[in-house]
Amino acid sequence: MDYEFKVKTSSEREKVEDLFDFEGCKVGRGTYGHVYKARPKNANERSDSREYALKQIEGTGISMSACREIALLRELKHTNVINLQRVFLSHADRKVYLLFDFAEHDLWHIIKYHRTAKANKKTVVTPRSMVKSLLYQILNGIHYLHSNWVLHRDLKPANILVMGEGPDRGKVKIADMGFARLFNSPLKPLADLDPVVVTFWYRAPELLLGARHYTKAIDIWAIGCIFAELLTSEPIFHCRQEDIKTSNPYHHDQLDRIFNVMGYPLDRDWEDLKKMPEHPTLTKDFKRSSYQGCSLSKYMEKHKVKSDSKAFQLLQRLLLMDPTKRLTSEQAMNDPYFLEDPMPTADVFAGGPIPYPKRDFLTEEDNDTDKANAQANDKVRSSIQNAADSGPNAKRVRLGPGPPQPPQPHNYQQQRPQF
Amino acid sequence: MAGKFWSSSQFQQWILDRQDLLRERHGDLQILSEEEYHKVMIFFANFIQSLGEQLKVKQQVIATATVYFKRFYVRNSFKCVDPLLLAPTCIFLASKVEEFGVISNSRLISTCQAVVKNKYSHVYTAEFPYRINHVLECEFYLLEVMDCCLVLYHAYRPLVQYVADIGQENDLLSTAWKVANDSLRTDVALMYPPHQIAIACLHIACVILQKDYKTWFAELNVDFEKILEITRIILNLYELCKNFDEKKEIPQILQKVPKPKTQPSRPPSQGADGQPPAQPVVQQQQQPQGLQQP
Repeated sequence: MDYEFKVKTSSEREKVEDLFDFEGCKVGRGTYGHVYKARPKNANERSDSREYALKQIEGTGISMSACREIALLRELKHTNVINLQRVFLSHADRKVYLLFDFAEHDLWHIIKYHRTAKANKKTVVTPRSMVKSLLYQILNGIHYLHSNWVLHRDLKPANILVMGEGPDRGKVKIADMGFARLFNSPLKPLADLDPVVVTFWYRAPELLLGARHYTKAIDIWAIGCIFAELLTSEPIFHCRQEDIKTSNPYHHDQLDRIFNVMGYPLDRDWEDLKKMPEHPTLTKDFKRSSYQGCSLSKYMEKHKVKSDSKAFQLLQRLLLMDPTKRLTSEQAMNDPYFLEDPMPTADVFAGGPIPYPKRDFLTEEDNDTDKANAQANDKVRSSIQNAADSGPNAKRVRLGPGPPQPPQPHNYQQQRPQF
Repeated sequence: MAGKFWSSSQFQQWILDRQDLLRERHGDLQILSEEEYHKVMIFFANFIQSLGEQLKVKQQVIATATVYFKRFYVRNSFKCVDPLLLAPTCIFLASKVEEFGVISNSRLISTCQAVVKNKYSHVYTAEFPYRINHVLECEFYLLEVMDCCLVLYHAYRPLVQYVADIGQENDLLSTAWKVANDSLRTDVALMYPPHQIAIACLHIACVILQKDYKTWFAELNVDFEKILEITRIILNLYELCKNFDEKKEIPQILQKVPKPKTQPSRPPSQGADGQPPAQPVVQQQQQPQGLQQP
């Protein structure tokens, strides 16, 4: 490389630390890297006083997931998909920074807030339409991705951001595209690249049974799981996550949990079940009779969602075991649920107050634990994230005041009112 | 699918006209004739093809790498980065973008060494001089010059769709596919949308195979002026290649190509320490340096 070329480009290059203040403003830490809340320097002099999320990608150089995220986000533009403002390449330390709009909330924190409030017998005031608005915008964002030949592959509450006060107030932004990929031309079977991708709780049954090709239906299943979790404040397919080191997609306990909620699929409900790579293991390990009397309607009734409600009717068609029968995002958006009062709103908070606390900055102490966690997690990068945590909280952001929530798995079995 | 092209970074930032190309290449065209410039680009497209085949990547990876290579030199002189370094860098990045996976550091470098030694010894008498740290450094510059526009739309996909629309014609697809591969040795990918390139490739394939699909072409809703421009550019390539003796001409042309100077200007007596063991003949003045370790 030419010396003068390097000197010239270096003098022209704007450095992230010259343009933004973000030191000590870490708001998230995960296997993907660090996220900082960043403000433009000299914000008073310029009109631009907006807040940004600055993601410093883990490791150095252009990793596969950094490459994917940059490549895809560079092409995508939709109101419900996180908007990549800018990429900073720091040549000296080979770090990559991605600049996004700052989202004050995410569904992991929102759901956790509701769960904590319930444990303390407190009510959270939110608009009646909030869950519906959230779901509609999630579907809208995924519909955009799917119609652009992009699969998300890692949908979970922590990846669904919600904008706080500002011009985009109460808007859903789908984030964390590091796993996403274009699926119009799979050069290699997707399963060869990332043996295990989606967090187990949100993972579709066909993936757990060894499906080698990802489909739109896999994202739809995850949306169904998120919808159920919004309705009940409980992860519908919550499952203890001890055995996280396996790269084998087959996961006995997770399948057991799904059957416990849904019942074991009938042959006529899922004809291709027999063709799944792990079908022999399935028939060896499971008996239909163990799940007699289990059904989604029973589970949801237990959580105070009536099976004749439009919400349930839609949920049931998002969570069909047979991927070929699951709704598409477009079909789901046209569901009668969205035409019934209360109507979804563009601001999910419908102009009302936002009851959730703002993101806290992580302290050095958090950093140390986070670092240890991150290192442990890196070893199981393709497996589940933050398994020891109470949920798949990739962001590890602390909530404001309030007692810590004891993460007891059987808590989730208790009945809880809707929010 | 093709509809998405119109909102892509490729359409918005990287469809250039001939004036743009000439303006950006102005410096290099002071030294090389336009024909020589094209021959250098053909040579390196072939080099990228050889590397890609040796690495067993798909044609799509090779096509993407070749367009990355062109994009870099649309914005920069050959002097900025040695094309022999940029070529493997483009393959390395394209393999990740096209989801082919990360090519291991050692495999990339050993493949470059093998290809240079076995297929290009007539041009490069010395060993391939770069190491992975050079490639990784160069990758950042490539990404930066491309403004992080990584997703590419090639002619292959619309080509397959058009041939399917015409009816099953295996020889038509394979001939047009080869023309599309050849088109990577021209600037068409920098100048026209992929579906227009696909139609031009089909057009040429029909002429080669002496097939008459006039009615099918007539029903297309495209700007035929553009198709003819692309056809002309590709035919010019074939004309150029007829009398192009690569083995003989390329070493001479590469002599003229401006070379990077890896060190600030110094008296010639200095600066020979710690050099890589060998240097290509075409790089008589300067060799790449090892990256300084922090």
